[in-house]
Formats: sequence, C-alpha cells, structure tokens
Amino acid sequence: MSVSTDTQEIIINIAKIMINELKLEDVTPETFDPDIDLIDEVGIDSMDLATVALVLQDKYGMKIDEDDYPKLTTIRLIAKYVEGKL
Amino acid sequence: MKTVSSLLDDNWYQRYKRISKLNIRSSIYDVTNRCNLRCQGCFFFSSGEHKAAVEEMGIKKWEGFIDREKERGVNLAILIGGEPTLCLDRVEAFYKQLPTFCATNGLIKVPRDRFPDMMVGISLWGDEEDEKVLRGKDTFAISSKNYEGDPYTYYLYTITPKQIGKTQRIIKKISDAGLKVHMQLLSNDEGVDGFFWKPEELKDLRAEMDDMLDQYPDTVISSKYYHEIITTGRMLGRKFGWMECPSVTQPLDKRNPQPKRLIEFIRWASDLKTMHRCCTSATRNCSTCKDGAAHMSWVMVNKRAHIRTPKDMQNWIEVYEMFAKLYQFIPW
Repeated sequence: MSVSTDTQEIIINIAKIMINELKLEDVTPETFDPDIDLIDEVGIDSMDLATVALVLQDKYGMKIDEDDYPKLTTIRLIAKYVEGKL
Repeated sequence: MKTVSSLLDDNWYQRYKRISKLNIRSSIYDVTNRCNLRCQGCFFFSSGEHKAAVEEMGIKKWEGFIDREKERGVNLAILIGGEPTLCLDRVEAFYKQLPTFCATNGLIKVPRDRFPDMMVGISLWGDEEDEKVLRGKDTFAISSKNYEGDPYTYYLYTITPKQIGKTQRIIKKISDAGLKVHMQLLSNDEGVDGFFWKPEELKDLRAEMDDMLDQYPDTVISSKYYHEIITTGRMLGRKFGWMECPSVTQPLDKRNPQPKRLIEFIRWASDLKTMHRCCTSATRNCSTCKDGAAHMSWVMVNKRAHIRTPKDMQNWIEVYEMFAKLYQFIPW
C-alpha cells in the first residue's frame, strides 16, 4: 500500500490512528490540534504511545525507537519524526 | 475533546505535571524463597511459590540479571520474597543499579550505611493479637525499634476484618515511632477463620480509613479514592478482576482484549528464569483480590478514563502521587 509522505497528511493520519486506537471522543482528525501536548493535555501515557507506534510502524514501514518516546509529545513532532525516517 | 488543563485549576495542574512524565516501570523480584516467619495468609507460602523455582545462589548471576532488567527499561525494583533481608548481598546488587524498594517483616534491620536511602516497607498484619494469630509473634515490637524515626521507611499495614474500629491505635503507635504508614487489606488466601471480609465491614472500613487520613495526614500515605477502590473493588463503574488487572506478567499475558496494563511488568522467581503470573498468588481469586498495589496501578494506568470531571482527575492525581511517594519518586 502506498502512503502519502506529505507532512499535513501524515499529521491527519496520526490523528486518525490516535482517535481510533485510543478511542478519543469529541475530536476529529481535522480538529485535533497537532501542537497540543499529548501527555500533559490529552493524558496519553507510554502504553498509548506504544499502541500508536505499532500502527504507525505498520503503516509507514519504519521503526519508532522506544527511547524516542519522550521526545514525541505532539502529533506534529511525531509526524516530523516519521517523515525523517521515510 | 476534554483536556487535562480544562478540568484543573493551576494548583492541581502543576501537581499533575509533576507526575505526568514519571513513566514508572516496575517489576517484582522474589529475592529468596526463605523467610524467618511463616505467616498464615502469606500467599508466597500458601500457594507453593516458595517451591516454584530453585533459588539462584550466585551473586554474579544476580548482578548480570539486574543489568538485563535495567536494559529492559525497569526503573523500579520491588523486592519481596521470602524475606529479602536474609540476602542483603542480592538486595545491594539491586540497590546499586536501580531505584529499589524492599518489602520486609522488619525483624532484621537494613543497615543504613549500606543502603542510606533505600525505601523499606515493613509488613504489619493487624494489631498485636492478630499478629500473634497470623504470624506467630508481635513483629511490631521488634520492627518499630529497628526502624524508629527512619525517613525512608513506612509500614504496610494490612488491615484485617478484626481491625475495624481499632486502626487508630495502630496508626498512632506508628506515628509515635516517627514512621509513615500505608494501609492495605488482607486477602486471606489461606481462609483463616474470622478473617474473611463482609460487605458491611468493607463499608465501615472505608470510612475508618478516610478518618485516619484526616486525623494523621503527616503519617498516613493514602488517598480517599484509593480507599474507595480497594474496599469496593470498583472504579468508574468497572469491577476489578482478571480482565482488568494491570499487574499481570507481560510475557504470560494472553488476555484478549488486553486491558490497560503495566508495561513490561514481570514478577520474577528467585531462579531468575521462572515468571509468576502476577504480582500476587496465581491461586488467588482475582474477583476478590485485595492487593493494594494492583488496585493502585489499576487507577494509574487508566488515566484517560479519569479525564471526565475535575473530581475524577483529582482522584487520579492523588492515587498517582500516593504511589510515587511510596516508591520515592516524589518526596513525602
């Protein structure tokens, strides 16, 4: 499956994955603020991040190193990280 | 989407931020199969876990194992047994490598010159009378002398049904010894007569635990939400049990669907190869399990479920803070 590597589309894809995998309510991929702090504001923890990372790894065929989790605090930062690995 | 800051005032939000990135990853280690007590109701012996594995005796093997645990991402070693203080070289091997908590019956004093700031939790089962029935002796008389005034020690006071209406005297004794206390409930794995919980007793106990926290805020390390969870077995309308428990050894965890759980958690036997199913006995009925750490962890891993109302979020913060204090990630 080919996937878009455009940053904005990666952001939307990550938001979709988060909403689906973590069952987040009252938010859509389009309204999910890519700069909101996922830990301090959304309440995401390392198990959530691991869940999202697995799906992202499958989708984009790259590996997210667990040691990098602490840096991945917003959707935009995750998108840039993914982009850098493609 | 509800956010954490939208539910909290600045003071609570700062408290939240102090703990939100702690990322505690604990595992539990049977340091030895031996103990200097034989308590009725101790799951380790009643379920035969002391015979589950042949104890590794070589300290170099322990050191190598601990290195691998550190590489695995463990940042909190919880030492149980048997009685860990019977093998201080192994305890020291952990302490040199990882933040370490040592559960003990307190009969042997951990030498503070070797372990200056290691957290020590002393088990206490009810009052003098209960202790004589269940453990064969009044351990408090010895442990309170060994650890009097120690700033890195607290009592793990296991409350029995016979303690209802009597906890204040125990809490005061602990306070008078210059120590802290955390309360938990007896699970009565060996079915000792008179030590089973009845629903009305649990209700009374919850009120009493709340009272103790109000009366001794500098001594009791606890939270009222924890009292609710541990006495009712319910959280946000969900019932504690096998399909909810977060403290299951990860490589043995085949539950489907997977609940929110402790990442990479393993409870290791003392051969350093065998894994136990969970943080307590595999023979225990999960639906009536009263394990305090499992219930605390149940709250902690379900953070997003608490992002509902200000009170829910504050409850979550208080339980997480309690855990972080008990294991020295934040000060008392």
